[in-house]
Amino acid sequence: MYLESRRTFLKGAAFSVAGAAIAKGVFSTDVLASSVKDSKFTDTPDSLSFYPPLDQWEDFQELSAESWKGGGIARRGVQSEDNPDGIKVNDYAIVPTACSNCEAACGLTAWIDKNTFSVVKYMGNPLHPGSRGRNCAKGYATQSQMYDPDRLPFPLKRAPGSKRGEGKWLRTTWDEAMTSIGKKMNHTLRKGDELSKKSVMFHVGRPNENGFTGNVWSTLGCDSFNSHTNICSSGGRTPTIQWANDDRSSPDWANAKLIFLNSSHAADAGHYFQQSASFIADARKKGAKLVVMDPRLSNSAGMADLWIHAWPGTEPVIYLYLANRILNEGELNVDFVKKWMNWEVFLDNKKYLEFMVEKGYISKMPEGNDFDTFVEVLKELYAPYSLEYAVKESHVPAYKLEKLYEYFIEAGTAISSYFWRAAAAGNRGGWMSGRTGFLALGLRGAIGPKGGTFFHHWHVISVAGKGGSSTIGQGKRGSKIPKVDVWNELAWPPEWPLSTYEMSFLLPHLLSDTEWQKKWIDKGLNVPQKLAVWIPRMYNPVWINPDGFRWLEVLKDETKMELTFNLSPTWSETNWYVDYILPMGLAGERHDQHSEATMPARWTSFRQPVMRVALEKAGWKPNNPNRATLEAHIKAGLGEVWEENEFWFDMCVNYIDPDGKLGIQKMWESKRNPGKPVTIAEWYDAAFGDNLPNLYKTATNDARYSTAEFPVYEYMRDHGAWLEQNDIYSAQEYKLKDDGQNLISHGHKYKKSDCYLDRRTGVITAKDHKTGWKYPGGKKPIGIEIDGERMEGFATNDKKLDFFCEWLADDWKWPEYAIPFYPRNEKEKEEMVHIVSHVNHMYMNGDNEFALNTVFRLPYNIHTRSANSKHLMEISQNHDPIWISTQDAKKLGFKRGDPIRVKITDTVSNLDSGFFVAMAVPTEGVLPGTLACSHHGGRWKLKNSVNIPNGVSDGKINSNNTPRDMSNPEFMAESPKNAGKDGEKIEDFNGDIGLIGFGAPLAEMQMDGKEGKLQYIEGIKPFKTERWAEYNDDTSNIWWDGLSGSWQNAVAPAHPDPISGMHCWHQKVILEPAEKGDKIGDIHVNYENNLNTYRAWRDKLTRGLDSDSKLRRPPFIKRPWVPLSEKAYTVEIKDV
Amino acid sequence: MEQTLSRSNIYALISRLLLIELDETLLEQIKSDENILDFFPNFKEWSKVKELDSKTLIEQFLSPDFTNISLLHLIPYESFYIREDQMIETGGANPVTDMYSAFNFHVDYAKSRVVSSDHIGVELEFMHYLCSAQLKAEEAKDEVAITELKRVQKEFLNKHLLQWAPLYLINFKYEARTPIYHDLGEMALEFILSDNEYLSGEVK
Repeated sequence: MYLESRRTFLKGAAFSVAGAAIAKGVFSTDVLASSVKDSKFTDTPDSLSFYPPLDQWEDFQELSAESWKGGGIARRGVQSEDNPDGIKVNDYAIVPTACSNCEAACGLTAWIDKNTFSVVKYMGNPLHPGSRGRNCAKGYATQSQMYDPDRLPFPLKRAPGSKRGEGKWLRTTWDEAMTSIGKKMNHTLRKGDELSKKSVMFHVGRPNENGFTGNVWSTLGCDSFNSHTNICSSGGRTPTIQWANDDRSSPDWANAKLIFLNSSHAADAGHYFQQSASFIADARKKGAKLVVMDPRLSNSAGMADLWIHAWPGTEPVIYLYLANRILNEGELNVDFVKKWMNWEVFLDNKKYLEFMVEKGYISKMPEGNDFDTFVEVLKELYAPYSLEYAVKESHVPAYKLEKLYEYFIEAGTAISSYFWRAAAAGNRGGWMSGRTGFLALGLRGAIGPKGGTFFHHWHVISVAGKGGSSTIGQGKRGSKIPKVDVWNELAWPPEWPLSTYEMSFLLPHLLSDTEWQKKWIDKGLNVPQKLAVWIPRMYNPVWINPDGFRWLEVLKDETKMELTFNLSPTWSETNWYVDYILPMGLAGERHDQHSEATMPARWTSFRQPVMRVALEKAGWKPNNPNRATLEAHIKAGLGEVWEENEFWFDMCVNYIDPDGKLGIQKMWESKRNPGKPVTIAEWYDAAFGDNLPNLYKTATNDARYSTAEFPVYEYMRDHGAWLEQNDIYSAQEYKLKDDGQNLISHGHKYKKSDCYLDRRTGVITAKDHKTGWKYPGGKKPIGIEIDGERMEGFATNDKKLDFFCEWLADDWKWPEYAIPFYPRNEKEKEEMVHIVSHVNHMYMNGDNEFALNTVFRLPYNIHTRSANSKHLMEISQNHDPIWISTQDAKKLGFKRGDPIRVKITDTVSNLDSGFFVAMAVPTEGVLPGTLACSHHGGRWKLKNSVNIPNGVSDGKINSNNTPRDMSNPEFMAESPKNAGKDGEKIEDFNGDIGLIGFGAPLAEMQMDGKEGKLQYIEGIKPFKTERWAEYNDDTSNIWWDGLSGSWQNAVAPAHPDPISGMHCWHQKVILEPAEKGDKIGDIHVNYENNLNTYRAWRDKLTRGLDSDSKLRRPPFIKRPWVPLSEKAYTVEIKDV
Repeated sequence: MEQTLSRSNIYALISRLLLIELDETLLEQIKSDENILDFFPNFKEWSKVKELDSKTLIEQFLSPDFTNISLLHLIPYESFYIREDQMIETGGANPVTDMYSAFNFHVDYAKSRVVSSDHIGVELEFMHYLCSAQLKAEEAKDEVAITELKRVQKEFLNKHLLQWAPLYLINFKYEARTPIYHDLGEMALEFILSDNEYLSGEVK
């Protein structure tokens, strides 16, 4: 047909421009290479998953990428003296480490070119059991973060005489900063009183390590460890605590038949992303179904077998609909439920059953007390959750819920799920989604088996803080560290005794609310009114926490926060307002033991400063063994970049407690070299060796390490990952060991004569003088006997899964929520507001009122951690419009790209918070009546760069007299003489430091104590840089402006959930067309109203401690980071 | 010679358009050259061309369309169509590279922004260079070289482009959402078929 219609192409000759000028010109010519028959290199690898064998990692040669593109060595040959134009061969040292951009700890390997001593690429670590050599975009981006031209080259100090936030900075030395900070900490702690132990506060973003820093704070004797958890995951953890006294769920994605995601997390954006997504892909390949429950059509939902777009916060009614059908259609897994749910405790608590009758949960008191009675109670209890009610409340069509049930039953016990963020983090009472979700799983017996869902603590390794045997003072595994005996109300306020983690997002509110402070001081509590030292670590609360202007108010107030410093590799909104910024290393520049529950196994990765490891393995010796990482980074040209492990070792021994009078020094003093801080090799050899018996055995029996000074450390240094135990399923059934005299549970021995068996429940308790006070009856539950078998059971007091959370009902004031429940009608919804979302549809009264879904990650981004990567910024641009359904957009007259005013209003206080201006994107991918706009957009900076007047002139020494080349003995022999004492000359540094050049537009800000405004004045621009100029020769190609998002977190008031303590992220919003002069990104905040909204949530919703309270919190549930004494838990509150 | 110049020019034009996004300069050239516009009859009549300036036209319509049909949804690489496993051969084992190498041609990847040398734009540009070389030979009246170059063109066309480009271009045409790319798909296919007919007549 084409030939039939052919025309003459002859007239092409008459082009006004010659063809040669039109052609792109992609060819160049060169000469043919000589034969490469003898070369060991080939043009094409045999397999895409190629990694060199471990024994070649120290010295591996590979053709440069040019050869793969340029026609290969067949054309140009291998570069040599005779063939200088041939393909270059990179001479690599490959060093394992672990990614640090999200929490998954995937393995990485740094490919260090020995001839230039620079990292040419980061690849995966094939030895890592969870990531299996794979990484997501964020892992590979580690290189661009390493050579980010805006990274901080040395410690910075706020210029004396300037105010916080004024933007005047000086270069300082590590020694000056550590001396000033150490003195302040020493002066505070040596008072020794209760308040001093609450006044040196650490505040971590994502820890990405398992217990090291908590151990530091333990040795400081402080109850002042704050984390970001309550803006992240405490609503996801609360149901796990209530069901199993565990921390979080741990699914076996790879073997599941149904993957039921309660968000877009796991498969496309968030938790343990790459490892989870890979396991999910494996399962789907084998035929598993994927269901995604999310009001937004995420990438995962888009490829799922079923998308369940429930109205935010109504997920529990869907789980209870499943429970109702399972119970009433004969699909109950009787064996599992009878064995592992606490039906005996439930039926024996007559007071509670009477309460249920009174509340109308059930119609009458159960007559029996056997398992069948329990099942009958459940059937009646969950009968109201019919298909009709589920459809009405959740807005999900009936056919989808029926299909979900079908999948749920077909999968048997192989259902993997994860209750995290999303529903749990967005909604008031969001924790109930996990509470009801576990019920549905449990009724089918899907908790624990292969392909099912289990719990975190069996699948994780936490030994980073347990290297105590290498120190003089800590004792093995820290056994000699005294328990902290104070309770910090700034982290654990009395209104939220059950908060999963610290109420860290309320810190500025608590510090500025003198009325609240006075109330509790009058009642006898020793509430701090200021902090002596505040130390965020790689954390940016100003930007990411709700009510950002309140953070700014407190950060700028030197009477509330006397000394502040951020341990951070990059600039951030928060750093702008602190006193010191101390540059810490990125993924390939620091030591961390990091393990996560990504599979039914216990593995750990070992994050390492790769340049240091490469040098040391090649024979280099640092001048100061306690600052080896700092010296190596100076040698590598990264600047005066350090790591936290060595920093805290040095701080504790030489700066916080230099004379040892506080008892802190000895805690970190080397046993091997008394008087000196412990070294990395000493600490980790003990931390790994003392706690992981299989690793210890393997390392010490391996001929390569058996004669080494630190065999276990060296094994981990070379491998970067370890699998201690695999295939961990239904571990609650592990047998209790019996050595004749003792029962042995979790490695602890209990004399059999001190053990007691409850014949009704099967619970075995034991006398334990150290910890008995924590448990009801003063005895510690250590196991359970069922059908004559003694097993370890779950971590609950009754060793079963707590369908009925007895302590929540009897001792901690929340009886109506002590079982999985959701209101059954509108009247109950109004009464039981604590578990009804503050954005439920019952609060939406007009066409322009919406539930705003905020809790999803922008693809390729991790909160604040990715704006320093040009690669991640280019592929994501931090693009963050507001998703609105096409029908809602049509109704309101909004078109794609329109600016919209999004006014935030609160359904508890009825106060308005202000507005942000967002970019409309109408889509079919969002449930009508709801909107979606990630709270991870809207980065900003107030200046494009800062001039550091002494940044260049103070460069006194330069250790790199010899060009970087590891094959040159002179280079290998050199090292900075006084690392941290004198300022190192920074190469290619012209005196200006850019601020987040790839990821933050320029803004101007106003704030007056009550109202705050921020407006963008200039988008991200192309720039030229001299730092790592060759690597960054593409910065002039920046094409994105970063102007599509808004700093909505500043508008958002704090919404503390009354039970979990989670900040409930979603917002009720009212949409209005933008007004004249509005620009996308503008925000206008009434943060005085926000303070009152926080107070309304506190005063109207919580059930805190009172004069009847004897304890601060149930002592048998986890209280993270620092072990506390009985004294700390005990409380006496005056009735004033 | 006129015919060879014409063939060289058309190969240059279609290779450029299939290789990367349009830029304002080239779009202006096309819009102002009636001879070129005749190859794009639907584009010529497209109202947006008159309504919008070139920059807006490119940013809002042409580049997004190119991205869809050349980067996201269709695969413009020979090895994808030829290999059993449908993998794009990015290494030196790509047969098309051998042919380039035989003439001392080497793909500059920084310029071309492709992952493999068997991209349709690269293969067409190679044809452009062969035609240009033929033109020079014709100017020099070097009959041996002319014959050899025609033979090579026919061989390259038959061994490579004709093996897969028709399938790609038919899909390209139907997936295109802008007149210029729709017309380009049609014209490019017609041209290489026609050129093969011409070369078959010339080379026995």
